[in-house]
Amino acid sequence: MKGLQLEGITRQVGGRTLLEGLDLRVGEGECVALLGPSGCGKTTTLRVVAGLDPLSAGRVILDDDDISRLDPALRRVGMVFQSYALYPHLSVADNLTLGLKIRGVPAAEREERLTRILALLQLQELRQRRPAQLSGGQRQRVALGRALLRQPRIMLLDEPMSNLDAQLREELRPELRRLLSGAGHPVLYVTHDQQEAMGLADRIAVLDQGRLQQVGEPRQLHHNPANRFVAAFLGRPAINLFPPLDGRQLAVRPEHLHPVPAGGLPVRVARAEWSGNQQVLWLESAAGLLRMLWPADSPVPQQLEVGWAPESALAFEASGGQRLPRCELAWNRDLIRFLQQ
Amino acid sequence: MMRALLLLWSLGPLLWQLRTSFLVGEVLVGGNTPPGVSPWTLANYQLVLGGDPSLARVLLNSAVLGVVTTLLTLLLALPCAYGLHHLQGRLRPLISAGLVGAALFPTVLLFLSLLQFARWLGLANHLLALAVPYAALALPLAILLLRAAIQDLPPELEDAARLDGLNAPQRLRRIVAPLLGPAVVSTGLLVFLASWNEYPIALTWLSRSDRLTLPAAMGRIASSSVFTVPYGPFAAATVLGSLPLLLLVLLFQRWIVSGLTQGAVKG
Repeated sequence: MKGLQLEGITRQVGGRTLLEGLDLRVGEGECVALLGPSGCGKTTTLRVVAGLDPLSAGRVILDDDDISRLDPALRRVGMVFQSYALYPHLSVADNLTLGLKIRGVPAAEREERLTRILALLQLQELRQRRPAQLSGGQRQRVALGRALLRQPRIMLLDEPMSNLDAQLREELRPELRRLLSGAGHPVLYVTHDQQEAMGLADRIAVLDQGRLQQVGEPRQLHHNPANRFVAAFLGRPAINLFPPLDGRQLAVRPEHLHPVPAGGLPVRVARAEWSGNQQVLWLESAAGLLRMLWPADSPVPQQLEVGWAPESALAFEASGGQRLPRCELAWNRDLIRFLQQ
Repeated sequence: MMRALLLLWSLGPLLWQLRTSFLVGEVLVGGNTPPGVSPWTLANYQLVLGGDPSLARVLLNSAVLGVVTTLLTLLLALPCAYGLHHLQGRLRPLISAGLVGAALFPTVLLFLSLLQFARWLGLANHLLALAVPYAALALPLAILLLRAAIQDLPPELEDAARLDGLNAPQRLRRIVAPLLGPAVVSTGLLVFLASWNEYPIALTWLSRSDRLTLPAAMGRIASSSVFTVPYGPFAAATVLGSLPLLLLVLLFQRWIVSGLTQGAVKG
């Protein structure tokens, strides 16, 4: 079976567990984004797959080979580091071909592969430049080229966009998508930016504190989160979490809150953030600050009552945060009544 | 103002030596020259350059020894520093502490036992044999300095090189060492300076006059007469002995100041 298979990978350093029993599959030509807050184990996962960090337990299987204990040089993985890690003292051409030279690829073939990759990345004019003389986007392409030139069986990308400004990031997304899918190998893509994850990845794996929380297509994670963490981490503006009541906690996405004539939750508008195509209202209520979407050019009232369709609410265990299979109608009623008091 | 004072403090003695080196002996011991005779002279320089050994020969000896010592030290210190940087576990703090201890050890206490070594191995009066104890004494500090510089390099550079298939010696030679330029230069200068100034070991290992290094030769000049202190020739030798150092520092200044910023990965 082609592709990458992670089986219960665990990494402990000292007494700390960085990664615990992670199972994940990345199929051929598939792009899976690892998404989570800083320190959740995303980068560690990549480093373990690349062989830069050792495993404490579990197996890394690539194209049916168990590569868990293999030297990084022999794994044939292409990795793009967050800092790009280009060799500062070498030209673009030497940065790209150092690995080939070390592996004893003949000069003629090196030159041919170099020419091809420079053309693919549109870096022909820059081949003699040093990394310090390149822009952020150019450095990223060189780093990508260096990884691709190894003829990798899998591509690992560690926040490749985080050093670029927001506009460039958006522009480069389709470009990156083209370069990655062109080669057809599996891609593991680390990011803390959910927009980027949703825009690039076929599936998203959400990590928190070294544990896999949920893996699935972006739409599925958004509409059907497995627990409170995933619900709160995905979606902008963030989901409204109501205070726990009777051992459970309800949550409603900002787009599902709407004004009601009577019988809803009374709120006061604290602030309106206008963003061109919509506004985000920050509401002061008995449940704390809530977020609600509002049409861009409608007048904003100062006071109103808000409600939500009962089926749009998500219910979680108050203690563990596990998703409850369904949100009973009565729970919504109880919550509103409790908040109204 | 503060700067001017500091400058005077550092440069004052040197300038005084420079002045002394051009004065005739009578003036230096408090007398006066006969009327009509200039107190300024080049005789001190003629004396030290024409003496046995000529100071030119002495400077050459010191320079050759300094270069060999520096190269030997750097060649050994680089792999040591690199290895220490990558060493895991309890051994690392132990070795580091040992290095600090060795770097702080007063070398004067060693010269007698080193002399016995030299006699036993028949190394006395071999100029370049001095490079062995000199490098040994300079190594702890050199290793610590270079290791600090290696620690400042972004660790992903080596990760990237590992994925590119470079083994440890290849990574040291092709990635780490080229990025350590400024640190290597400043460490090398320190080593050279220590070798240039070393006195007790040179004094005891070398006796043939054509093999002397600068400090040993200066010692001879200072004690050449029982009856007078040769201020003038001594000052001339001091000036001539400082010039090569001045030249070196000027030559490598750009490197020392440029620091490690050129290795940055982010921009």
